[in-house]
Amino acid sequence: MTNEFLSHASLSSLIAELVATGTRVIAPVQTEDSPDRLEYKPVCSLADAALAAGQPRLSLKELFLPSTEVLLSYRQTKEGVEIREVPTQARPQVILGALPCDAAALEIVDKVMSWDSKDELWLGRREATTIVSILCPVEDSNCFCTAVGVGPDSVRGSDVFLTPVEGGYLAEACTLKGQSLLEGRTADHADPEAIAEAEKAQSAARKKVQENAPAIPAGFSAWLTENFGHPVWNTMALRCHGCGACASVCPTCHCFDIVDEHENATEGVRRRNWDSCQTAKFTLHSSGHNPRPSQSERFRQRIEHKFSVYPRRFGEMLCTGCGRCSRICPGGMNLVEIVGGLISLSASNSGGAGQ
Amino acid sequence: MKELQELAAKLLRDQNVQVVIGYEDGPAGVRPAFITDANDAARLIFDPRCVHNLATYLKPQRKHIAKLGKIAIVVKGCDARAVAGLIREQQITRENVIVIAVRCGGVLEKAPAKAAKKVELTEENVSVRCAGCEAREPKLYDYIVGELPTEPPVSSQRAGEIAQLEKMSTAERRKFWDEQFSRCIRCDACREVCPMCFCLQCVALRAQPQWIDSSPTPAANRAWQTMRMLHQAGRCVGCLECERACPKEIPLGLLTRYVAGVVDQRFGYKPCDDPSVPAPMGEIKTDDEEEFIR
Repeated sequence: MTNEFLSHASLSSLIAELVATGTRVIAPVQTEDSPDRLEYKPVCSLADAALAAGQPRLSLKELFLPSTEVLLSYRQTKEGVEIREVPTQARPQVILGALPCDAAALEIVDKVMSWDSKDELWLGRREATTIVSILCPVEDSNCFCTAVGVGPDSVRGSDVFLTPVEGGYLAEACTLKGQSLLEGRTADHADPEAIAEAEKAQSAARKKVQENAPAIPAGFSAWLTENFGHPVWNTMALRCHGCGACASVCPTCHCFDIVDEHENATEGVRRRNWDSCQTAKFTLHSSGHNPRPSQSERFRQRIEHKFSVYPRRFGEMLCTGCGRCSRICPGGMNLVEIVGGLISLSASNSGGAGQ
Repeated sequence: MKELQELAAKLLRDQNVQVVIGYEDGPAGVRPAFITDANDAARLIFDPRCVHNLATYLKPQRKHIAKLGKIAIVVKGCDARAVAGLIREQQITRENVIVIAVRCGGVLEKAPAKAAKKVELTEENVSVRCAGCEAREPKLYDYIVGELPTEPPVSSQRAGEIAQLEKMSTAERRKFWDEQFSRCIRCDACREVCPMCFCLQCVALRAQPQWIDSSPTPAANRAWQTMRMLHQAGRCVGCLECERACPKEIPLGLLTRYVAGVVDQRFGYKPCDDPSVPAPMGEIKTDDEEEFIR
């Protein structure tokens, strides 16, 4: 894991070669309707990419777990049912300019995707992908990655990590995949000035996020479990519409629904679609009973799953502090404020935190 | 502003209501506020950043809010139409809600998180729904506060959109909407924030029979959005919350505005804040032009 210098020209020719050899290259690009709006999209050259220009509206999740995808198709014949599964091998792709919160999210979700049964589609795409992250410029006051163990300079989930410096990037190969991508592209040793410049930018970015929110204390997860029946779940959930926009933009929300859809009398497909615990339908039983009858239970579920259930099962939080949920929420729910409020409540343990 | 805060404090202190739903400055811009303590009433604000339609919180689904007790709600003219709609369609009763109307000088198209607290409305930033608004001084209220500000500017950004849409051929229009709907992930955020989407069992959630596939396929997306619009015809209050909530930025307001135009043209009806005025789809006339429905 060494820091090497990667010039703009060298990165540019790397991207051109990847594209020419059939690798899909994804990077943040400015959208047609607004230059302020970025989206991760396929690019043909480095010039198309808007690196470290801000946070793309949606995370990388959709590239690994599409909002809808066919799992298998079936056909009824005289002999029985013919099943055709979809291929689980994916086309090679490189993600250039991933934000550290988005890269880390993939590694966190890997845990559930390779837990009791292996999610071949997710893992197949992960295997075929090389992730080149970049030092995050920090979007705004909704960012809190450092509070959940990530950071604007975190290399988690990245194969290569870039820090912009004069004339190019300081490139760190974090995995073997990253090493082979960079092979022959970098000047062996970056000069000390570039390293100093990079370190300065990294610590400045880190400091900027740290000012938004303190680190989540160790006992938080246990407190959440113990306070499942706390009245704060109702007061904090009041403005929540239950629209689930937070889950759509969240890099770590990964719940899906599986449905069989007939195409005609004998043929059909089995699909999986994104789902969200914020909607009433998510837990609705066929009897009509709903164990999470109102938005307070659904809001609690979102927080408990991210900061208590997932840590208990997998040893880490299901959140990378990207702040997208707070930015998209039509009701003005704010995760920095919510988690901060719950932490102070857990510290005082007096109860009754109101709006 | 002070008038609003004092009124809210008094209503809470006198226990006329247990919660006042209004607007406050949140950590990232203006947002809905739920004031349950008279001492917190000073948090209430009203200015052009208050784009949200709070009437959504009165829907029968919002059990966790109803639990608090009697509600007073702050409404602009467009929001008052939604309160009237909920009364007209018997989702709430007039006497169970205290309506605090604010005289309105227009709101922003989008409530930006980083905007300064004082915003001047301009042709560029004003909501398209404010153009020619006839409800700047709502008629449905228990209390009305503020002075009537000057008329808002007319949105230059989006004024010609409907005309453009109408100019398209059927095939072009089909292509336009298919492209827009291809982004839809069927998260249903549009439905959840809509004050008039209050069906306890939405047809899109029915599984037996499954009228609309739950997958975001082109056919199902088209079916869902078309059906929602048909159900909203003559009921939509034009608050544009669906468009604001859409995480995929589908211009749903184009549909609602278009449908509202058709209803106005065919039935001479614009949604209003008088619950006693029947909506075209909610009334049967013995002298109806159409024989099948008489």
